[in-house]
Amino acid sequence: MSGNRWKAAAAVAATAVLSGRSRAAESAAAEELITKIRDKNDKVRAEAMLGAGKVGAPAVKPLADVMATADDFEVARAARRAMWQITHTVGRPDADDERKAAVAALIPLAGGSLPVNVRREVLWMISELAGDEAVEPVAAVLKEKELREDARMVLQRLPGDKSLAALKAGLDAAPEDFKPNIAESLRARGVEVSGIPDEKMIPRKKTELKALSPDEAAKAAEEAKKAKVSRRKGKKQ
Amino acid sequence: MTDKVKVKVNRRRFLATAGAAIAAPYFIPSRVFSAPGRPGANERVRVALIGAGGRGRSLIKEMDKSQIGHEAEMAAVCDVDEKRLAAGLADCDPGVMPYRDYRYILERKDIDAVIIGTPDHWHAVHVVHAAEAGKHIYCEKPACCTIEEGRAMVKAVNKNKVACQIGSQGRSQPEAYLAHRYLVNGNIGHISKVWCFHYASPADNNPVPDSDPPPELDWDLWLGPLRWRPYNQRYLPGTFRWMMESGGGQIRDRGAHVMSCAMYWMGADGAGPVEVEATNVEFPRKGVWDACINMTVTYTFKNPDWTLIWDQKGAQFNPDAPRGEKRADSEEVISRPGYGAIYHGDKGTFTHWGGDGGTWAERKCREWVPPADHKEVYKSPGHMEDWFEGIKTGAKTIMNIEAATGVANLCILGNLSALLGRKLKWDQAKMEIVGDEEARRLMGRPQRHPYHL
Repeated sequence: MSGNRWKAAAAVAATAVLSGRSRAAESAAAEELITKIRDKNDKVRAEAMLGAGKVGAPAVKPLADVMATADDFEVARAARRAMWQITHTVGRPDADDERKAAVAALIPLAGGSLPVNVRREVLWMISELAGDEAVEPVAAVLKEKELREDARMVLQRLPGDKSLAALKAGLDAAPEDFKPNIAESLRARGVEVSGIPDEKMIPRKKTELKALSPDEAAKAAEEAKKAKVSRRKGKKQ
Repeated sequence: MTDKVKVKVNRRRFLATAGAAIAAPYFIPSRVFSAPGRPGANERVRVALIGAGGRGRSLIKEMDKSQIGHEAEMAAVCDVDEKRLAAGLADCDPGVMPYRDYRYILERKDIDAVIIGTPDHWHAVHVVHAAEAGKHIYCEKPACCTIEEGRAMVKAVNKNKVACQIGSQGRSQPEAYLAHRYLVNGNIGHISKVWCFHYASPADNNPVPDSDPPPELDWDLWLGPLRWRPYNQRYLPGTFRWMMESGGGQIRDRGAHVMSCAMYWMGADGAGPVEVEATNVEFPRKGVWDACINMTVTYTFKNPDWTLIWDQKGAQFNPDAPRGEKRADSEEVISRPGYGAIYHGDKGTFTHWGGDGGTWAERKCREWVPPADHKEVYKSPGHMEDWFEGIKTGAKTIMNIEAATGVANLCILGNLSALLGRKLKWDQAKMEIVGDEEARRLMGRPQRHPYHL
């Protein structure tokens, strides 16, 4: 082996060792984070949640699992907020590699077997960080009734021609009751959509209540007066 | 006489008989008698309330007690909570129509104006839709929750030529006028820093799990444009203020008052910072409330150069802030000394407390006697009165939509900087964040169908 080749091989080996060590360190940091997120003490959870950004992508999947399985609703919330902390940290302008790694960790979770509430959060995290690589997996969620509205809004936010094309294709494939939703996203992206009216100004929900008759209004006034007097007495006591 | 009776006596003017009351939805619109969209000088403005919670109902009472009370007629009340709707209806005269869906109100041609007292995440959609339906608008502050919403509001209000007043009513207070005049006349010299002080946002120390909504509440309509989530008791009523997506915490709730005064008095409506940075940020440890508890946000303005600081900390009082001032027996007591601002000039300082429905200026300002050649400033006749002036004459309101969205943008940018943990650069001419793709995406927020702009 020539001197140069040997040096190159040594460099590759050193990088592999370092990379292995680095992966081990990342894994240890993620494990420590998860342990703290599961802690019963909210101070410990909060510290972990707010520091989750520096752990980054390796913690994404384990946190989603905690969110999905925790019996304590506050532990699940801490896991969710830790995932958001990661999202906001890796989205900074000088952290493209970290951002890409987080997106790569998030994308499989969007279409996976996790509960809907977890996948919904994941979709919105993707909306802040991802590019074209997320379009296809997010567009696939348009077929799921429980999450299609979120997927539609995420595609609306993802920039570029690919997400726009996915929305157009989604409109063609959508069932009738969902077409107006996708049409709205296309309009928001500057596309003219004909044949599907904008429904935003159409009233839909009626109250059971009626306008008061004069007698009812007088009675309501009397009751309000009594309630006010009663509140005042309560305050004095 | 109670407030209740006063309201009813005043509103009864528009419904002389019970028979007329039942026919309320079929009244001839006041615009039939005057210029398109503008009731004539002697005509009453038919008003609907959207959002009959505590603040919405207070606004109706404020309108009724104001100098323009006799110029207004209540025609409809709307709320997504049947109990609140019933309470709002009970405040009104017979015949006032109740609605769950505000769009029934927008369809009614006999209604001239709407008063919007809904949670903040609804403001932009309500304002844009009301403007598109040709209604004049009074909307609670803050104007909007995203930069994109603000842009849409400005466009809709101007395109449809409706009068829009946002409820940062501090600008219309008597001592706000004194403060404005005092500062504009150079009493503290060139101002290089405005330090806005406020106490902290609350933490939820008793969090509860998500649950089914109460039967009287239409949860889908309450959420409106926000992405779907299960109901939680801690979201409402009133506590939406502590959710980042809705109220945004103290910076958006009271920042929309205190910073509104600052922007107006500094002559900075229409201006914007070049940089925004949140520091000393403390987020809640638990619960669903996620707005910052403590935060210091520094806004750097250029040409002219000055700094605006929002400093939110302390349980009841910001520990660095002055706690009010002794007032003369004849003067109104400062009932809200927990927030306000100190203006730093090269010849001295000026302090005010409050900045919303109560605005109290420092003694030296109240006692200042203007020389004959002093610069005069606009003296609002009252926030509601100023709005009605806009409705009747087309005059720009004191907290017009451009000014209001400008102030709301400050609040939004402060929260975004805190949320993302980094300084943001802002291009006021383009109204956009520069050089940060994630932050740029957060300038807008896709909305649920059909509750969208």
